[in-house]
Amino acid sequence: MKTKKKRDRRMFFVICILTFLISFGIGVISKIAVKPSWAKKYSVSMTDKIGKVYKDIPYGDGKANKFDLYIPADAGKENCGLVVYLHAGGFTQGDKADDADMLAWLCSKGYLAAGINYTLRTDENGKSVYSQSLEIKEAVPEVVKEAERLGYHINKMAVSGGSAGGTLAMLYAYRDAKDSPVPVKMMFEAVGPSSFYRSDWGSYGLDLDTDESRKSAAALFSVMLGSEIDAELIDTENYDELIKPISAFMWIDKNSVPSVIAYGAQDRVCPFKTVAHLVNALKENGVDYQYFEMPHSGHGLQNDNKLYEQYMNAVETYLNKYMPAEK
Amino acid sequence: MTLTQKRLLILLAVMIIAFVSGRLAVRGFLNFLVGGTMFGGNFL
Repeated sequence: MKTKKKRDRRMFFVICILTFLISFGIGVISKIAVKPSWAKKYSVSMTDKIGKVYKDIPYGDGKANKFDLYIPADAGKENCGLVVYLHAGGFTQGDKADDADMLAWLCSKGYLAAGINYTLRTDENGKSVYSQSLEIKEAVPEVVKEAERLGYHINKMAVSGGSAGGTLAMLYAYRDAKDSPVPVKMMFEAVGPSSFYRSDWGSYGLDLDTDESRKSAAALFSVMLGSEIDAELIDTENYDELIKPISAFMWIDKNSVPSVIAYGAQDRVCPFKTVAHLVNALKENGVDYQYFEMPHSGHGLQNDNKLYEQYMNAVETYLNKYMPAEK
Repeated sequence: MTLTQKRLLILLAVMIIAFVSGRLAVRGFLNFLVGGTMFGGNFL
């Protein structure tokens, strides 16, 4: 009798462990795979009903210099709006294909949408944030030309991106918009670094009052800038001029385009302290902007779905206001 | 309450705790990679 009870108890214990493991697995899968219902709206798969994608159109000499152009099925041909979306990946990884859903969503809204690849940084090729921003500047006229060749006349554009793509989008919108072949009407981006002061980059250990920290900051920001920064200059007034080519916030003025931006307060990849410069510049220059700060999220904006939804709604509102799609 | 009912209740509790732990584990792992808080914001 006692043995049977013991066996029963042991069996129940095993069942408990199995139940725990299975339920734990279901919890993990549900967290990874189940998207909130509102997010499905922004995750569109490309179909013939939505439009057509022209892939890997070259724009320069580099192997990576290619873009995909999404043409909406119901687009008018005379006054088209173009939205450029630049991929993430820390300037060293990523591909335009990663944003296929976002580009398809923009296409479904009636915009010609372009995902542009840029040459990713490796230790060998010496590419930088600056050289990548120049590639984007070189690519946009080619995107417009290709659209014209296909019979679509673009008369307005927006530029956008996430993380590294966000930085490049800001540089195009605030620094290079004056040279754009079509007027840039707005910019939206999330978690892209816009400033490079070592005091803000504490998550990389660059904010310490040591020579080593100064040297590390100079080394990292030199790589990003694409030219050597002397560690002795990094805390001086001259540093602003040195780093300006890749510091998007420094290019903001009264004529800067309306912007929608989102950042995570816990972000360690794009240090959250960098955001203050951007927001202050937008505010001080009277730019029409909306800023979404996600208090519980890091670089993935992963823990504040309600705010993320508000960010995407604001993007849609700004697109409708500044870039109404004509069909 | 019979022994079977007690055991079913225990199993239910185990399921809920494990499901929540699974979701929190993913959140913790993502937070570790990109930053974030364990609680607040999204439910679980």
